[in-house]
Amino acid sequence: MKNSCSSVSTVLEKYFDQEVTGEEKFLVEGHLQDCPACRDALKSMEDLRTLMKVPVEEAVQKEDFPWVWQKIEREIRLQEKRTWWQSLRSWLDVTPLFRRKVWIPAVATAVVLLFFSTQTIFKKTPSYPDGSVVEYVQSQTDNVMVYQLEDPKVTVIWLFESPEEERTTT
Amino acid sequence: MAVRKSGGRTDDYMKRIGFLLVAFIVFSSLSLPTASAQVPVRMRIIQASNVGRNIDPSLNDVHRELGSLFSFTSYRLLREENLRLSPNQPVTITAHPGRFMEVTLVELKREAAKLKIRVVREGKDILDTQVRLSPGRTVLIGGPRHGEGVVIYALSARY
Repeated sequence: MKNSCSSVSTVLEKYFDQEVTGEEKFLVEGHLQDCPACRDALKSMEDLRTLMKVPVEEAVQKEDFPWVWQKIEREIRLQEKRTWWQSLRSWLDVTPLFRRKVWIPAVATAVVLLFFSTQTIFKKTPSYPDGSVVEYVQSQTDNVMVYQLEDPKVTVIWLFESPEEERTTT
Repeated sequence: MAVRKSGGRTDDYMKRIGFLLVAFIVFSSLSLPTASAQVPVRMRIIQASNVGRNIDPSLNDVHRELGSLFSFTSYRLLREENLRLSPNQPVTITAHPGRFMEVTLVELKREAAKLKIRVVREGKDILDTQVRLSPGRTVLIGGPRHGEGVVIYALSARY
């Protein structure tokens, strides 16, 4: 069944924009095979699109839209009078980084830092009795006495030399 | 062009991360023991005896302490040393022929310096001890005979 140009022209633009149904597509393509006028109309649409597309793409490439958005955001931020606390929080906010791939090395760095800091923080330190100054004391030869005062802050370690040693050293 | 602008924004975040890292490192270093620091320790070697009633003028600051602790009548300063102790580097002081004291800084924390002290006589450890010396505290090690009295080593930290 042959379709008239008038009936096809109503869906030709939709066909050009690839918005037709399967049935319409079949209808248009069948008609285009036999109708040079409609083929020319379709080609004109393609030419027009090409003519528009090239300068628009060039203009888009020249324009820096991210930069424009950054300026807009900055202006918005400047207009919003924020407290110093909000400014500080905003400055310290690194959550936008998590939307990027940098969070992988960031997490790795944090893990390494955490590892080394926990080694230090949770390092087992001996617990001394309150005020204890002498951790240990020993002598191979003599008796030793330790006593400690808090006022004045003095700790005494006294060696009681045996009489034999006294004789040799005096 | 767009890449350069994007890089600028990343640089901004990198600066922030750098600041946070520096803050973390500064905070961590404050909480860490100052392992590489030196500790100035004042050591006075005093002869205490009951011969006479002389108090060395240079011992006036500790005379009250000595008087409250011991019953000696005479105190004489034999020697004074201002030691600068580095971690695990023993310092030896000879106070009497055949007898010496060895002081080693074992650990340094803000609240106290941990010192290992040995007094060696004729190759034998007559004293082996480890003490925590905090600023304001004096450790007196005494007892070995010296002449007509005894010798007292007075150690105090100066930091």
